[in-house]
Amino acid sequence: MTSRKNNSVIPHALQVDQKNDLFILFFRRREAILPIANLLTWVGKDSETYRCLTMDMKRDYYEDIQLCKTRTALVLTIALFCCLMIIPFLLGDYNIYIVNLIAIHAIVAIGLNILVGYTGQISLGHAGFFAIGAYTSVLLMVKGGVPFPVALLAAGFVSAGFGFLLGLPSLRLEGPYLAIATLGFGMAVTQIISHWDFAGGHMGLAAPKMSIGPFVADTGLEQYAIIMSVAAIMTIAAINLMKTRVGRALVAIRDSEIAAEAMGVNVLKYKTLAFAISAFYTGVGGALMAFALAHISAGSFNLILSITFLAMIIVGGLGSIMGSILGAALLTYLQIKLQVIQEAPIVGPILLDISKRFFTAEGLPNIQSIIIGGIMIGIVIFEPLGMRGIYLRFKRYWRMWPF
Amino acid sequence: MKKRLKLALVLVVLSATLIPAQFGWAADKVRGVTDTEILIGQWGPQTGPAAAWGAVARGTGVFFDLVNEEGGIAGRKIKYFMRDDAYQPSKTKAIAKEFVENLGVFGVASGVGTSTGMAARDYLMENKVPWVGPATGSKHWSDPLQKYLFAVYPRYTDEASLLTQYLVEKLGKKKIAFFYQNDDYGKEGLEGAQNYAKRAGLQLAAEIPVEVTDTDLKSHALKLKESGAEAVILWILPKHAPIILGQAKAIGFEPQWVASSTLSDSHLMYKITKGLWEGVIYANFLNIESPLAKKYLEAQKKFAPNEQYTGIFFLAGFVFVEPMVEGLKRAGKDLTPDTFVKAMETIRNWNDWLGYDCTFTPQDHQGMKSTFISKCGPEGQQIKISDWMTYKGE
Repeated sequence: MTSRKNNSVIPHALQVDQKNDLFILFFRRREAILPIANLLTWVGKDSETYRCLTMDMKRDYYEDIQLCKTRTALVLTIALFCCLMIIPFLLGDYNIYIVNLIAIHAIVAIGLNILVGYTGQISLGHAGFFAIGAYTSVLLMVKGGVPFPVALLAAGFVSAGFGFLLGLPSLRLEGPYLAIATLGFGMAVTQIISHWDFAGGHMGLAAPKMSIGPFVADTGLEQYAIIMSVAAIMTIAAINLMKTRVGRALVAIRDSEIAAEAMGVNVLKYKTLAFAISAFYTGVGGALMAFALAHISAGSFNLILSITFLAMIIVGGLGSIMGSILGAALLTYLQIKLQVIQEAPIVGPILLDISKRFFTAEGLPNIQSIIIGGIMIGIVIFEPLGMRGIYLRFKRYWRMWPF
Repeated sequence: MKKRLKLALVLVVLSATLIPAQFGWAADKVRGVTDTEILIGQWGPQTGPAAAWGAVARGTGVFFDLVNEEGGIAGRKIKYFMRDDAYQPSKTKAIAKEFVENLGVFGVASGVGTSTGMAARDYLMENKVPWVGPATGSKHWSDPLQKYLFAVYPRYTDEASLLTQYLVEKLGKKKIAFFYQNDDYGKEGLEGAQNYAKRAGLQLAAEIPVEVTDTDLKSHALKLKESGAEAVILWILPKHAPIILGQAKAIGFEPQWVASSTLSDSHLMYKITKGLWEGVIYANFLNIESPLAKKYLEAQKKFAPNEQYTGIFFLAGFVFVEPMVEGLKRAGKDLTPDTFVKAMETIRNWNDWLGYDCTFTPQDHQGMKSTFISKCGPEGQQIKISDWMTYKGE
């Protein structure tokens, strides 16, 4: 590894971005930037900072598989973990519940993104895996007396088993045909569960409380501890998985199935594996959802849920773990908060007035659908990479900002 | 780049404004009750697959406006919060948490949906939030007894039992078939009919289930015809009624059709069945001919002139919540969840509402067990053909 002296950073960077309007606006003299430049680079005192300021270049394999590529990333990751540990104590029960929902949806979105974004297969049936996960864990705990951690894992593996089975037809089906097959799967699962008296039928089942050994999750805060830990572990696992042979094989299949096969990627194995992994994530998410809701019924795992999951990863960014999390967070937040838009300051009364004047009495709640639909159309047209694309542009922009 | 920055700023501002103002409430005070206000919330699907039932929540809004206009309750006005849960339990639970924690409501009124309500039930009960009149006839609400939960909607089992009894005892029908939706709404109805049949020493001529997603009901109609039933009880969705009546008529099978209270909007049913609904008899728990109904619809013209749907569901938003207002009145100035429960439990055979004989006791929080039978007239009008009948138990 070659290393450059830290002070060589500034002149290079200045040469790159001297035309920047903002720079001319705020700093007319070069010397003025020095302290800011130092501030920006204090976290990374080696060559990595330089590289990070110029381009994302990797020079060997081990560098590519590092979890945190720069010291900045490491510091930020640690800061994020600290935040995740602190925020529940600052939020009320209601907001914790929303964060819990976001974490659960993020797990599902990551799982779906592994299938759709990384492997290039479509699924409209993830609500089915979600339901399988939820019902497996609750049935195991209620009828089988299995402890929670085992039930959670079992939910993932049972779901993965079904994912494997659904993956088999995917070897022959593509595009819209696969979409219909998975759609049918999702609907069949709901139908079967709702007619299965052992699983409570249409009435659904009451979920017991999550517990690990003597620790019982009674409050939203305690649920947060479990849900967020699982979410963090599964996120890191997904990031790592995508850097291994498996992850690269999946991406190869997405980019060209024939080329991948020619390079020796076992398409049969990796396609079904992608379905299984994706279903595993979704199943675990479903299990956590069952405990967060405390009551599950088949009707809530409908087609709209599958489409919402798909919307999350499209909004967040296909083929990106971070995008999945961002998309899940944005859509979950909007879905919950747009219900109360009429009480938002300034915007709320205006919208209420518009809806009273021009629409029917039912008009206002539909604003939720309009806004979410608008965001999706906007993202697909202007930012095909989704929220991750926006993030990347910001990153590139701010990284050079003062220069 | 600058445009994008501006866009980001707009987004940030927008999301900041979406964070609702936090309504604080002091610990020594009763949650949701001030000297001038009582805070009450309700969820209901305004969007999504069940949006048609959202009229219940809007009806309640008009009812509270009316109560406030008439001077409120013990000097307090009702402040009403309506939320759209799109019929999704995860949203309903979020709404319940918002009600209790952010808004600090005193109680919850009605609320459409069994699975959505079940996601919120235990949470509301743990936090001692009085909840009156969930808008379904599920037995979950009153069995087992929940201290702060009062059910108004007559149980499907009771209603089906009464209907069957009426068919056997008043109309002298011996062969009765039951055509039901294959979920707990339909199955609870079936259970009620079977209970009565067992007591009367009868056997139902046929029990034919229909799936929510079915659209071709020809084989169902044939099975019903084969059973030779004189009367067929329908425990189905409104959308299935025209199909089964039409297909039965096509194969020459015209029994006495009987329907549950969920199909009791006779004008609507007459319209969607293109007149086949004439002569159908059905259960009803909402006295639409009462002068109160007229008063309520006038209030709708005043407070919600844009409302497009003013049928049974809209009025249901009144009937499910009337006992709550009565309870609040009886509790008077000293209002806490516990005084409210005590006041509710003093309501006995109360009839100053659209329903009939509302009774709550400390042992039984199922307020209404009565229904009456109507017949659909030649123009779709409702003709009352029986008095109120009350389910007396097994």
